[in-house]
Amino acid sequence: MSEIVIKLENLTKRFGNFTAVDNIALEVCRGETIGLVGPNGAGKTTTIKMIAKILRPNSGRILIRTNHSELQDLQHVSSTISQMGFLIDIPNFYNMTAFQLLKYFAKIQKYPKDKTAARINELLMRFKLTEWKHEKVKNFSKGMTQKLGIIQAIIHDPDIIILDEPQTGLDPLARIEIRKYIRDLQSQGKTIFVASHMLYEISEVCDKIALINYGKIVGFDTVENLAKSLKINVLNCILLKPLNTSDLGLLLNRLSEKLNPYLDQNLDPEISKIPVRYKPEKLELKLYYDGKNESRGEILKTLIKEFESDFTVVAFTQPKTSQLEMVYSQMVKNNEPEGKRKLNGDVF
Amino acid sequence: MRTNNEYGIGLKPIFDTVIFEIKKQRKKFYFFLGVAILVVFLVGYLLQLFPSYLLPDTQAEYFSDGLTFIEFLTLFSACLFFSGIICSEFDKKTGAIVFPKINKYKLILGKYLGNLILVVFILAVYYFLLGLLGFFYYGGPINIRIFYSFGFAVLYAITLSSFVTLFSSFMKSVNVTIISTLLILLIGFNIADQIINLIFADSFEPLYSILYLGGLIASVLQNPFPDPRYAEIDLPGGMGGGFSFGQWITPTIEMGIILLLVYIFVFFILAAILFKRRQL
Repeated sequence: MSEIVIKLENLTKRFGNFTAVDNIALEVCRGETIGLVGPNGAGKTTTIKMIAKILRPNSGRILIRTNHSELQDLQHVSSTISQMGFLIDIPNFYNMTAFQLLKYFAKIQKYPKDKTAARINELLMRFKLTEWKHEKVKNFSKGMTQKLGIIQAIIHDPDIIILDEPQTGLDPLARIEIRKYIRDLQSQGKTIFVASHMLYEISEVCDKIALINYGKIVGFDTVENLAKSLKINVLNCILLKPLNTSDLGLLLNRLSEKLNPYLDQNLDPEISKIPVRYKPEKLELKLYYDGKNESRGEILKTLIKEFESDFTVVAFTQPKTSQLEMVYSQMVKNNEPEGKRKLNGDVF
Repeated sequence: MRTNNEYGIGLKPIFDTVIFEIKKQRKKFYFFLGVAILVVFLVGYLLQLFPSYLLPDTQAEYFSDGLTFIEFLTLFSACLFFSGIICSEFDKKTGAIVFPKINKYKLILGKYLGNLILVVFILAVYYFLLGLLGFFYYGGPINIRIFYSFGFAVLYAITLSSFVTLFSSFMKSVNVTIISTLLILLIGFNIADQIINLIFADSFEPLYSILYLGGLIASVLQNPFPDPRYAEIDLPGGMGGGFSFGQWITPTIEMGIILLLVYIFVFFILAAILFKRRQL
């Protein structure tokens, strides 16, 4: 197992009577990409600010491993940790040009002087900001400022990259670019910690997900394992043509019958009341199964062989995002404080 | 034990920040430099062109007249250059970008030194031009007291900057810091001085007042140094009834230096304590 580079031990942060982060514990290993997922105000940014030494925890500690040394208490690390790069919140820059800012950030983080200009140019080109190199940041759009925020976090080529809502304000193409870049960083062996409430972005790039709500970690594992623990395993079958609505009931019954050995027998009615559902608007069959790999193969075989005359399957996937969405909503719901749950109960 | 090289590495971020800060404050610097040149030109040169205006008898008196506005210039530049030194990082949230990259005390020290260099440079240009005009009107050598005056102006600028930095360490926004420090320095201290004068007359010297201590910039040019330092000023009034009031003219040089240094020390210590406690 690879070594732990960040360890949060019983970390708590209070603002007056409000507990923003409540006794959280988390371990991040070298080379892992961890997603910190939670709704607005869940405690994601506060956690990251404590790692960045911008906020002091009320209790607990943060241990950091720098240069393969022993884990050190962050409070005892005298200065900043140059092996880490941070993007915290929506970035606000001094009103200078992108080049001046990045040069300064590289300098104070001791990036080799002779390589700085090339590094700035490479990153600006990668994020399509080359033409804006000598423009003041006040002229930047929100998305461009966000891109510059990501660049400043990695300008000194850190080993550990911590990104808070990196996709905020970005257009779809830029989001794809950022995802690609995160994957590149992964392939370079970087440790990445991404906080977001955008489940798709997180599920696409992260090895493990930490679900945070009301300042507490309510789940920390791979999407698949989290789904297993909550018994949420879903398969999406995209069909070539819409199903004939006149005998839809019969067909769905037949499907349930034939696929029964592989379907989830203890499906939570809050997730779905029946294990086989048809969504005509998406030409999609949703199958809640037992989560076993063998079952997936058997389901596919059955659909192709037994239902050849009823429909044609053009895609058969286990969607990480929708699975994460379900895990997320389920875990968040399960871990709501008493008062809040009661209130929700009253409302619905 | 740390080597010289390690100390150098430790100081480098401060040096880098000084350079960056100087670039950042370029516009403000050009503005104040322009104002300083304009004031010297108006007071030191243009005024002398009026036929009714008599050129002072000595070069020292000429310098003293020319330095009438230096206290204001120092005060305004200190308030505007140093007001954002700490609170802007919190107000504009730029701290979230820079604090993880550099020790925050090094960042503030670098920013402070960068701004101080600019303010001292503006003062130096003012004194240099005034000295040049003094030489033009009175010939050489230049009265050495102008250098003492410059020294006091720098010390005064540092005291004001430490005062503004203290405010910047707990104020929420840059604008509020500028307004509150300007109000306290321009109006607050003056009102307090007047009240103290009215109540205590010559028995209480207003040594608490930074503005009063700043009076040394001009009084150090006087030869001999004002003695007594408290004067009764008679003002003629209407209907035959004039009135008089007392005023402290200047502190002693020794007392002035000591108090300015004490203020600098106290303000910086307080600012550092408040800054340490502040979280983004």
